[in-house]
Amino acid sequence: MENSTQESHIRSENSVTYDSPYPLYAMALSPNTNSHPQQRIAVGSFIEEYTNRIDILNFNPENFSIKPQPSLSFDHPYPPTKLMFHPATNSSLQKTSSDLLATSGDYLRLWEVRENSVEALSLFNNSKTSEFCAPLTSFDWNEIEPKRIGTSSIDTTCTIWDIERGVVETQLIAHDKEVYDIAWGESRVFASVSADGSVRIFDLRDKEHSTIIYESPQPDTPLLRLAWNKKDLRYMATILMDSNKVVILDIRSPTTPVAELERHRAGVNAIAWAPRSSKHICSAGDDTQALIWELPTVAGPNGIDPMTMYSAGYEINQLQWSAAQPDWIAIAFANKMQLLRV
Amino acid sequence: MDEVRVGVSSCSSEAEQTQSRDTVEETAASSSSGWRPRELAFVAFVPRDKEEQQEDERVNAAGKFLKYRAFVRRPLVGRLTKEIVETYRICNPQFKYSEDLNPKRFLTSPSTGVLNDGYDNANSDLILTVNLVLIHVEKSRRYIVKDLLGHGTFGQVAKCWDSDTNSFVAVKIIKNQPAYYQQALVEVTILTTLNKKYDPEDKNHIVRIYDYFVYQRHLCICFELLDTNLYELIKMNHFRGLSIGIVQLFSKQILCGLALLKDAGIIHCDLKPENILLCTSSVKQAEIKIIDFGSACMENRTVYSYIQVYIHCRKKAFMINPVVILIIWYLNYMSYLFPLQSRYYRSPEVLLGYQYTTAIDMWSFGCIVAELFLGLPLFPGASEFDLLRRMIEIIGGQPPDYVLRDAKNTSKFFKCIGSLQNIEISEGSKNGRVYQALTEEEYEARDLKKPSIGKEYFNNMNLEAIVTNYPYRKNLPKEDIAKEKQTRLALIDFLRGLVEFDPAKRWSPFQASKHPFITGEPFTHPYRPSPETPYIPVVQNIKVDNHPGGGHWFAAGLSPNVSGKNRASLYSSPHFQMAQHPPANSYGSVGSHGSYNDGAGLGSSYGSYGESSNMFAYYSPIAPSGMNMHNQGSMSMLGNSPDARRRIKYQPGNGLGVSPSGGNFAPLPLGASPSQFTPPSSYSQIPVGSPGHFGPTSPARGASHGSPLGKTAAASQFNRRKNWGHSGSPQTQETAFSSHWHGQYPDSTSQAEGTSQAPGSSPSYIQSNINPGNWKQRGSGGVSANQKIPSMVMPGSNMNSQSTELTHDNVETGFSLPDPGDWDPNYSDELLLQEGGSDESSLSTEFGRSMNLGSIEPWSGFGRLNGPGQTFSTVEMGSPPTHDFQAAYIHSMSKPFHLMPHISQNSPSRFGHQSVQRFTHGRPPQGSDWNQIKIQAPSGFSNVGPRSPRNASFTGNMSWGRRMNPPTSSIPPISNIPPTSRSRKDYARID
Repeated sequence: MENSTQESHIRSENSVTYDSPYPLYAMALSPNTNSHPQQRIAVGSFIEEYTNRIDILNFNPENFSIKPQPSLSFDHPYPPTKLMFHPATNSSLQKTSSDLLATSGDYLRLWEVRENSVEALSLFNNSKTSEFCAPLTSFDWNEIEPKRIGTSSIDTTCTIWDIERGVVETQLIAHDKEVYDIAWGESRVFASVSADGSVRIFDLRDKEHSTIIYESPQPDTPLLRLAWNKKDLRYMATILMDSNKVVILDIRSPTTPVAELERHRAGVNAIAWAPRSSKHICSAGDDTQALIWELPTVAGPNGIDPMTMYSAGYEINQLQWSAAQPDWIAIAFANKMQLLRV
Repeated sequence: MDEVRVGVSSCSSEAEQTQSRDTVEETAASSSSGWRPRELAFVAFVPRDKEEQQEDERVNAAGKFLKYRAFVRRPLVGRLTKEIVETYRICNPQFKYSEDLNPKRFLTSPSTGVLNDGYDNANSDLILTVNLVLIHVEKSRRYIVKDLLGHGTFGQVAKCWDSDTNSFVAVKIIKNQPAYYQQALVEVTILTTLNKKYDPEDKNHIVRIYDYFVYQRHLCICFELLDTNLYELIKMNHFRGLSIGIVQLFSKQILCGLALLKDAGIIHCDLKPENILLCTSSVKQAEIKIIDFGSACMENRTVYSYIQVYIHCRKKAFMINPVVILIIWYLNYMSYLFPLQSRYYRSPEVLLGYQYTTAIDMWSFGCIVAELFLGLPLFPGASEFDLLRRMIEIIGGQPPDYVLRDAKNTSKFFKCIGSLQNIEISEGSKNGRVYQALTEEEYEARDLKKPSIGKEYFNNMNLEAIVTNYPYRKNLPKEDIAKEKQTRLALIDFLRGLVEFDPAKRWSPFQASKHPFITGEPFTHPYRPSPETPYIPVVQNIKVDNHPGGGHWFAAGLSPNVSGKNRASLYSSPHFQMAQHPPANSYGSVGSHGSYNDGAGLGSSYGSYGESSNMFAYYSPIAPSGMNMHNQGSMSMLGNSPDARRRIKYQPGNGLGVSPSGGNFAPLPLGASPSQFTPPSSYSQIPVGSPGHFGPTSPARGASHGSPLGKTAAASQFNRRKNWGHSGSPQTQETAFSSHWHGQYPDSTSQAEGTSQAPGSSPSYIQSNINPGNWKQRGSGGVSANQKIPSMVMPGSNMNSQSTELTHDNVETGFSLPDPGDWDPNYSDELLLQEGGSDESSLSTEFGRSMNLGSIEPWSGFGRLNGPGQTFSTVEMGSPPTHDFQAAYIHSMSKPFHLMPHISQNSPSRFGHQSVQRFTHGRPPQGSDWNQIKIQAPSGFSNVGPRSPRNASFTGNMSWGRRMNPPTSSIPPISNIPPTSRSRKDYARID
């Protein structure tokens, strides 16, 4: 703890740390809107109790300060699995002073984060029974068509919500086992990863078929996270459970990864593509490191080395690379959220 | 500690940092996008030295990175994905999640449960969902359904995870209908025999069968999982031909499989590129396997020519095992019911409705080899007419006259330009052709509709031109072109021997395998295959067992194809067990003409055949206890008719003897011609007496001999049947079947109804039980035997009654779960037969008649003969004296034959006296259901022609095997999910 604090002090110009009263997992950075001189950051707790918390922080890149907004903290049932702000680059879609925040956990929820308060807008529940619940492991907000949110569930399905109308657009049995993550590529195309070890691409225009882009070498080794390269949609990255590998896929060559990044010394927990570059990706894991990689045009014989590294001192659980602040990477470890300048 | 170490390592190497920074900057500069990571919060990456790496590897191997975790806890990402249910349960003990509520991904369409308590859809397909577990109860084995590989009218093929072996398998889930069920048993039987007996080391490129069981009333057959089929492969190659080296490689492997089939006397009947699959295990590159034996059958002649006769003389006379006869007859009969071979690969004899042999597979093989080379089918006939037209055009010539003369469909495609006399004369002389192919106009005039003619791919070239002019691959060096030129000449010669109109001249697998195209030897001159190894027909020895309890069984009939001991032993059927028979002293054979003439009790025998066949069918490997056959009482019949005797001698030869191809069938069955085959009709048509009596009459046409009788019988039965008011197809055979049945058992209506239709549905049944090997063996033995044996045994009416009983029993047993014992070659059971009442004359007559009947119509169907049954027994061949063959037979029988447990109970009565109780005896609760189903099944099943489900199902387009992944070169736009990549129809929409 001292070590990392020390570090953040040492590099105070390049990193900012926020200490939370509880362990953090989910995290989101608001898109940069002109109306907000300060960027909002939402962090979700990981507390092994029913009631968890979501805190909203204000980050000022000018003076590197992070200010919690106690009035904007609110309860969330169960630890949220993912947080995401409305991706709209067009601010006309939202009220100037408020942000829409979506959370996933037992259900998908939509919150309106106002100037001084947070209002629960809606809860999206597609369950047929009230008694049982199939938790959502993740979701993704469609940037091009922001009324669409796709959720991934352990009930093997992905559900596409029309959040404006509050209805399910479609629900697909996407995998043979639990679905762990989902990512949009286009307005109607998304991909998902699952405990069945596969990465599949779906097109809402042809719901009868999916395309398997990758299958983990040992059948049924779960794939936990998926990141689609927004700058070059041919590429996506995924991570395997308990593996130090980051698998880079080219959807043009299914089943064979274009690269496997293997310099982490422990399991990788999170990945994020650079918002402004098609060739860079950041990964973070249990080896306490965050690594930034550049994908070479040709991989060397000894694998690929990352370009730069950062050690947090604790196992890094979360990693976000905000489009609004492409020079900042946010990581979460233990009770801390840290912003790193890159 | 670890943190410290990490920290140290990141800070300690300042010098290196500088260096690596430069590298970084270089790379970054070279990247097209402007952005690159700066070293602000991050520092340049420092590769670890080897020691560190090794240490890490050790640690990783030992503890899965735990050294980095302060607390031994799972990463949060895991706790909110893989373990989210546990995590949420910790957060809230009331949290509930049930996997069972997950929406199911249906693989089967339609997915609405209609039949079988909602387990089946309207098509009687088991409704499959992902992760459905198919359970083999007896073995406690679980197969988890993962995907659908294909489907056809027979059912579905699913890719399943076998948790016992941690591997994927392909499971064929047969429709819950008796016809398909039984048909699938044939496949099980054939493949098991092929695998275990003929190819225990998996060297012959035949798909492996791993397991089979019944789940939710569906027969499930578990196969090794294979990859793409050759059609898909060609398609992936954009319908360009494969390189000639690959063609050679594949041809060799297919031949290897075909040689095995030939040895086993099995006709695949549906050989085509879709049924040849690449192996997944990439141990051997480009290894292929032949799949789908759902259409396979035993060679007709094999089955046909072997007759088992049980001579039992303690009381009055001899007893024939009627079941055997029934099987023989029925097999032959059924073999004509189903169309075989997918059109492009259909041999001329099948197309023309001529008897067929393993040679039809060689034809198909030739077509496949050509297609592999050309990328397109050699004979893409849009109709049968078109198909024949293409054959004639590409190969030149036409089917030989002897085929045309006897083939059932000749008149559809040919006109006769000679008289009957001409036919006679023309035999032997090749120049005077008696038949001329119809022109398109003539065909139209006859058929009243235009034949569909497909697109011309080869510019009306002949075979030589097609192969020679086929474009060479680009960029092929000159010397390679010269080399391939030679290989192509070899290929042409090779194909010539395969796509040969005359089935008798067409090469056998063995002959073909010595061709330079296969062996790789330089091709210098046209290949002349050495004649097939002569079979050892006559002197085949079968031991006669004289043990006190034993009766004599012997096999009668000629089998030209019996080649050796091994083969015979393989074939021997487990089903017939002889034991405890009183000493027998005479031999008999079935099917004498004499009996025919005696003619009493027509209908009954006929019907019984059908029935018994059913029973056989049910006596499937799966049946637990085998069948209880109550032959005993009813079976007795002995005739000493001289005619019969003679008949036996010549039985295989009838009709054929006259024909050029029939050389083998000449009085002594020594011939080696592969084409030989005795149609069922031969029995009826061959006049009693010496070979001299055999006229040129062809079996098909010459109704004059005995067939009139048959016709009458059939007709009358038909009427009877009508009276009974059963619905059914008007088909003669079928009708005859059922009518007989009714005739026999006027009293027992309900039974009769239930069973009467069965014959239609049971083609497969019979097949499954019959054992080609035995037949063959017996046949060969029989030949010699016949000559010496004065007396014949004729099955009689008694047999009929028995058979009915049997049928019922079968109904019961057939649906019970599989019993390994049924399979096990070493498993042995009770004896078959005991004594029975005897009524010589009637028996023989009836038998004769039934044969007759059988012969009347066999040509009208096209089906294939399916059929080997279980063939496990250890028959000893080759023991010298003729009389010994009985023993041999016995041995063979002594294996697992379950037919006869109830022998002693039989009623001797012939007509309708059999006990009804048997019918209910031991029937499982669902028996009634089955019966009902059965009733419908036959009609559909027996329909000849395209309507028959069999046709559709087995010859259909189901491609089995994994779909290929797309070539990587195609770049799908993101917005369009690439059709190239592996797609599946698997996920369902829920909303």
